[in-house]
Amino acid sequence: MSRTVFFDAMDVIPDRADVFDHQKIPDEAEIPEHIERLLEEAEALFIQHAHPAGILSELEPKDFKEIFEGEGKNAEDAVVASIYPQADHLALFAATMGHEVSTQIEVLFAQNEFALGSMLDSVASQAADRTSTMLEKAFLDELRSREGNAEDRVVLGYSPGYCGWHITGQKKLFDHLGPEEIDIALNDSCLMTPLKSVSGVLIAAPREVHLFDVGFSYCASCQHHSCLPRLERLREAGGTDSPHD
Amino acid sequence: MVARPELLEQISDALQKGEDERVGELTRSAIEGEIPPREILDGGLIAGMNVIGKQFRDHQIFLPDVLLAARAMYAGMDLLRPLFIEEGIPSIGKVVLGTVQGDLHDIGKNLVGIMLRGAGFEVIDLGKDVPPRTFVETAEAEQANVIGMSTLLTTTTPVMEQVTDLLSQKGLNSSIRTIVGGAPVTSDLAREIGADSYGYDAANAVDCVKALYDELNAG
Repeated sequence: MSRTVFFDAMDVIPDRADVFDHQKIPDEAEIPEHIERLLEEAEALFIQHAHPAGILSELEPKDFKEIFEGEGKNAEDAVVASIYPQADHLALFAATMGHEVSTQIEVLFAQNEFALGSMLDSVASQAADRTSTMLEKAFLDELRSREGNAEDRVVLGYSPGYCGWHITGQKKLFDHLGPEEIDIALNDSCLMTPLKSVSGVLIAAPREVHLFDVGFSYCASCQHHSCLPRLERLREAGGTDSPHD
Repeated sequence: MVARPELLEQISDALQKGEDERVGELTRSAIEGEIPPREILDGGLIAGMNVIGKQFRDHQIFLPDVLLAARAMYAGMDLLRPLFIEEGIPSIGKVVLGTVQGDLHDIGKNLVGIMLRGAGFEVIDLGKDVPPRTFVETAEAEQANVIGMSTLLTTTTPVMEQVTDLLSQKGLNSSIRTIVGGAPVTSDLAREIGADSYGYDAANAVDCVKALYDELNAG
């Protein structure tokens, strides 16, 4: 049973540090005023053109096996393979910023407004990631309201294309989830459109289940390393709070 | 009347500050002052972009600064382009560029195109989701010596190999060189699929394309 969630664009605006990081501006850099203005302008355009929406579909861990195995192309040591069997609850998810914001980015580039187009692209990319974090929290809140506070339970999302879960896993995930409902489609290369979309599985499990040491065969070729700050937050967080609270 | 070197320096300075309207005004003055278009391009616009490129490589400025400078460059180029066509002035090289078939991500490819134009190359941008044959046929038809391919997906890197294979099959791999880039691409992968070069970012891609042209010209 799927349910859709709509967000206010204002609520998914990413942290400025994340946007500047996406623009490859170092953390310690002093941001010039004209770049701050560009960010403000990009955020205003994002609010005007983004239509963030998500979809969640809960399923039993045993039912996830077939979806996860996909076309049999996962890495043998895929992290998710060791995590999901220990899950209390699972939900497939997808979220998108909508078509209009992608079109607006194209329009800006066509008008030679490259800096603004690129900044809006970064805002939208980071907003999509933020939306998946909000879905993690929404799922955790739902579990809490249903079952009360399970000690040390954490919900985290894992996506095809990362951590040894092959990108072709998107196909079965989409078959099961049906994100067409929020207007996300998948092409033959397993690419989602609109481009500013995310998908995967939300895994609710005790904190230690989500902890792992990086250094798998596929980590060397990973360009993102987005697991590192997440693992750091997870190690630092205490009690029953989600690491994204 | 501003002296020729001074005017070109003003164009370069305005471009570095990302002042597109000012670059347009100064370029117009240079054209009216009968400075040859090639000189305006090389001594004003490209000179400014070269400074920007160096500052970016040295981490003195950030990506938005480069892109603001590029917008200013285009403001000047829009005025020069008709003169180049009219006078039959060739560019320093032609590059056919695109995001490979199956992928719709084009920000990285666009940045490469912007910076290549900023360095004086003519760029034939095929857009996104480009089939292998289109890359090769366009390069042949346009007499371009470099094909640049971009992708953000691991599932579409085989398309890049189809392009290098097609060039080999047609015996064109010595006259048309290839450069690849994008998140899943590495120098090892570039070698494996028979590409001639790998650009790890947009600024580096420009250096690589220049090196490919140097090799071709030396050969």
